[in-house]
Amino acid sequence: MLPARTAPLLSGALFAAALYLVPVPFAGYPYVLFALTLTLCYAIPAMALNLLLGYTGLVSLGHMGFAGVGAYVTAVLMKHGIASFAPSIAAGTLAAGFVGALVGVPCLRLRSHFFIIVTLAVGMLLFLLFNNLDWLTGGAAGLPGIPRPRPLDLGFAVVDPRRPVGIYLLAATVFVLVFVIQYALVRSDFGRSLAAIRQDETLAASRGVDVFAHKLTIFAISAAIAGLGGGLQVVFLRAAAPQSFGLLEDINLVLIVIVGGAGSLFGPSLGALLFVALPEALRVADAFRMVLFGAALVALALFAPRGLWGLAAAAARKLRSDESAVARVGHS
Amino acid sequence: MSDILEVDSVSKSFGGVRAVDGASFRIGAPGIYGLIGPNGAGKTTLFDVICGRQFADSGSVRLAGVRIDRLRVHQRVRLGLARTFQECRVLEEETCLDNVLFAAQDKNLGREMIQTFGRSEAYRRTAMAEAERLLDLVNLGNLQAEPAGNLSYGQRRLLEIVSSLIVKPRLLLLDEPASGINPTLLNMLRDFLLRMFAERQIVVVIVEHNMEFIMSLASHILVMHQGRVLEEGPPAAVQTSQRVIDAYLG
Repeated sequence: MLPARTAPLLSGALFAAALYLVPVPFAGYPYVLFALTLTLCYAIPAMALNLLLGYTGLVSLGHMGFAGVGAYVTAVLMKHGIASFAPSIAAGTLAAGFVGALVGVPCLRLRSHFFIIVTLAVGMLLFLLFNNLDWLTGGAAGLPGIPRPRPLDLGFAVVDPRRPVGIYLLAATVFVLVFVIQYALVRSDFGRSLAAIRQDETLAASRGVDVFAHKLTIFAISAAIAGLGGGLQVVFLRAAAPQSFGLLEDINLVLIVIVGGAGSLFGPSLGALLFVALPEALRVADAFRMVLFGAALVALALFAPRGLWGLAAAAARKLRSDESAVARVGHS
Repeated sequence: MSDILEVDSVSKSFGGVRAVDGASFRIGAPGIYGLIGPNGAGKTTLFDVICGRQFADSGSVRLAGVRIDRLRVHQRVRLGLARTFQECRVLEEETCLDNVLFAAQDKNLGREMIQTFGRSEAYRRTAMAEAERLLDLVNLGNLQAEPAGNLSYGQRRLLEIVSSLIVKPRLLLLDEPASGINPTLLNMLRDFLLRMFAERQIVVVIVEHNMEFIMSLASHILVMHQGRVLEEGPPAAVQTSQRVIDAYLG
């Protein structure tokens, strides 16, 4: 039996290794790499939303709006050659976090259902800005022609983000970074305070948690991470389009998190794989997609309220306890 | 040396109803204090004003000389106030041990952020022994790995009180701790509170309807009636006070 602390570290390391080894079998299949890179670009905002929805109990229906802030800041800086990739995406991340904090200050004082409505409005408002500030965002036509980052010489290999393998590896690196941040946040004292807020805000306050400050901090962090994902997406697709950050995508993101498993570390990634890579693979069923998803959602709400990851985890726990029961009987 | 708790002419109205109407009392010495009174006397409202769930319309509340009546709940808690809830609140998804350890945790946001990336678990190891000792005292030791949501109502109450005591508060406020608890657990609760009081020498204020319980536990009784403190004194004196009898029967 592994000690409690090394087991998650080990599974995380294996997961990261698998992620980096994907290009080995699929190097000759650019379409597979395309779908997987896009999945990673969605998994990042999904993890951001999971911090709110799954761990703090705050539902944000406008989260792709924050991803859009990060995306457009990155896009504008890179397109006009003002900054290179790293400072541009850093600026996009910070800008999204800043907008998140600005939105959070008035909104987080609202009770839960009012908060949900206001986040929806904020998402739509940001979409309107992306869609109409033609001089800055290119309006409905979007902002094409964003350059990919320059090749990076690692000594033993050269990663060229202009090629499918290179951009995949770049996306995987950002994904791993965000995954580690997500892990660190939820398994910390701060994460415990967030969990307490989710379970019982009144109790959390009476245990000394500054509920508003905690909510504002995680909201800003979450918006920043969403912005990072948005920045990565526009660099990958080489264009920023307002529809990528509109209402439909907002809803999609919430579905990714809930179906994958809100409140679990791997849930959002599983959800992103399901919602982004699978429809790409099943293009033929495109028209039926939403019908199938609708049915799947009802089934999930009924049978797996903690999402697919939660379902799998519960099954694994049951299996293990059955095994240990058998083992106990065997020894007695 | 200022009083540990000083409530000075606190008033609170809801619409036209004056729930608390100029209530004043001081608690200078450590002890177990009972706050009783007939229904509608304003006990719960006064309790909420002290804890910060409600703000008083007028008057002041001081904790060890510091005015707290305008502070938010978490700020009062950090000054040494702890409370339990009438409806009994625990973190149902967390284990009993994690409930207690969470209470012991430093909730300063800046220090939490440092801990996130420094990952020091030192306080948890320090708090662990005390948490396990207190859980053992209320017979929850063998349930410490059980989620709090699986406990019986009475056990949750005990867990809630243990969690409130782990932070070593100056002032512990218990809102009807005896309600919904069976007599066996009630005896355990009484013994536990007396033992913790003997160890800690803090101020414990208990709002309670169960007269037998409160009279056998408290060293001092405050009686509220119509939003004011009507009478205070040792249990024996209060029980024979004509004014108190009139208030309850009137």
